[in-house]
Amino acid sequence: MSAAPALASLQALFARAVVAGEDEAVLAHLAGDPETARRRLGLYRRAILANQAGALRAAFPVVARLVGEGFFDEAARRYGEASPPARADLNRHGESFPAFLSGYPHAASMPWLADVARLEWAAHESLMAADEAPLDFDALARVEAAGQPCLRFRLHPSLRLVRSAWPVLAIWEANQPGRDGTPDREEGADDVLAWREAGRLRYALLAPREAAFVEALARGETLAEAAGEGEPWDFGTMLGRLAGAGLLCAFSRGAAAPP
Amino acid sequence: MTARFPERAPDPAKAGIGLRTPHFEALATTRPPLSFLEVHSENYFADGGPSLAWLERLRADYPVSLHGVGLSLGSADPLDDEHLARLARLARRIEPALVSEHLCWSGIGGRHLNELLPLPLTEEVLAHVGERVARVQDRLGRRILVENVTAYVRFSGSTIAEGEFLSELARRTGCGVLLDVNNAWINAVNHGTDARAFLEAIDPACVGEIHLAGGEATPDGIVDSHGAAVFPEVWELFARTVARLGPVPTLIEWDTDIPALDVLVAEARRADAILAGAGARREAA
Repeated sequence: MSAAPALASLQALFARAVVAGEDEAVLAHLAGDPETARRRLGLYRRAILANQAGALRAAFPVVARLVGEGFFDEAARRYGEASPPARADLNRHGESFPAFLSGYPHAASMPWLADVARLEWAAHESLMAADEAPLDFDALARVEAAGQPCLRFRLHPSLRLVRSAWPVLAIWEANQPGRDGTPDREEGADDVLAWREAGRLRYALLAPREAAFVEALARGETLAEAAGEGEPWDFGTMLGRLAGAGLLCAFSRGAAAPP
Repeated sequence: MTARFPERAPDPAKAGIGLRTPHFEALATTRPPLSFLEVHSENYFADGGPSLAWLERLRADYPVSLHGVGLSLGSADPLDDEHLARLARLARRIEPALVSEHLCWSGIGGRHLNELLPLPLTEEVLAHVGERVARVQDRLGRRILVENVTAYVRFSGSTIAEGEFLSELARRTGCGVLLDVNNAWINAVNHGTDARAFLEAIDPACVGEIHLAGGEATPDGIVDSHGAAVFPEVWELFARTVARLGPVPTLIEWDTDIPALDVLVAEARRADAILAGAGARREAA
């Protein structure tokens, strides 16, 4: 039996065993039969992988369905090696899983997969975002016409915009429970707005300039800046849709975005 | 701060169940009599959204226990202040009857392993965990309970028996013990030790809650899966434990392969019957 190492070194040895399977060093500090202890360390190793894969599967059910169980578990394992969780809250473990998938060689034949994952993460985040009441529309109505181009808005915390070169919304919808996985269309570069309304996820397909407009508002640009300099278009309708969905939470006039 | 919810302690003569997403709606509409609902705190760390809204809605009908699985009380890494801040925020929002964590560690060197890992039970570790429990209690402004975990392996350097360790931790910090009878039984079977000796070493005065759960027998030992009915041997140990302690708020933990709500409630009723026969609480917690 070796002398008891300090807690930090012992835990580092233990972690190496249950993460990388290098168990020799920690076995020297475990009681009982070493062969039994080795197999028991395997229980931890499998539980850790299962917990992480389970959290990813909960956040990315469509990706999981598209690639199948074995592929997903292996991708989850490699992602866990590339981006080990820094926090206990596994609801946040998948944040860079879409980026991981975009560079994952085994997913190269599915170039849209990472964007489907981005859409799923947007939905996941949207459902966990803060609650916030819509802005005071009476106060907004009192802004004189001349001041309107200078208005800036704070959008609802649950709002997410995913812009893709692929028909990600069609793929996502086709892989919801009860659907057979066949997308309604194969063409498209989908700009998807996702948000939460009355506790449920909502989404809509936007035209490119609508998406650019929402993106600009989210950056804190004024209405005039967000509308763009090209040919005039009816951005008021898009603004009305945002307002109707409760996604405008505050406004300000002038130089700074609302806090 | 003004309380937003009715202040109700769990009824120690009745069992509670773990609250899981598939049962939100059935619980809110049928409201079966249960002592309390317990959630994994980390599942409600979000800033807002439907899960938190459900928990608040159900909190109006039931006392809630916040059971943490990620604070990593025994890690040699610094306590995660952000984690603690989110737990404090959740506790302010939900006004829980009980807050608990585990005698374990879950990460080292900035890497989280998302599993309840065993600790060597030594004076050094007792001092370390004691200091951290005290900090958590200061930060939350309340007592927490600390649970004995399933330890698939044990350390040859351990010098303190687990029952004494937990009782001494409680004595030093004022924390309580969450006595997991299932974990005690699994450890005894997996290591060939006596669960009764562990349970009897626990100071009755510090036990604030009991956990019951099912496990899974595998070639490598019994695994604490929380995915099945409570084992007969665990019911027997539970009866023996409450005969010694008197009635203690008891939880049926079943969080994988989650069954229908009535299956969970039936397990709780079985625990109720045993708690009802336990007489009066021997010593105040």
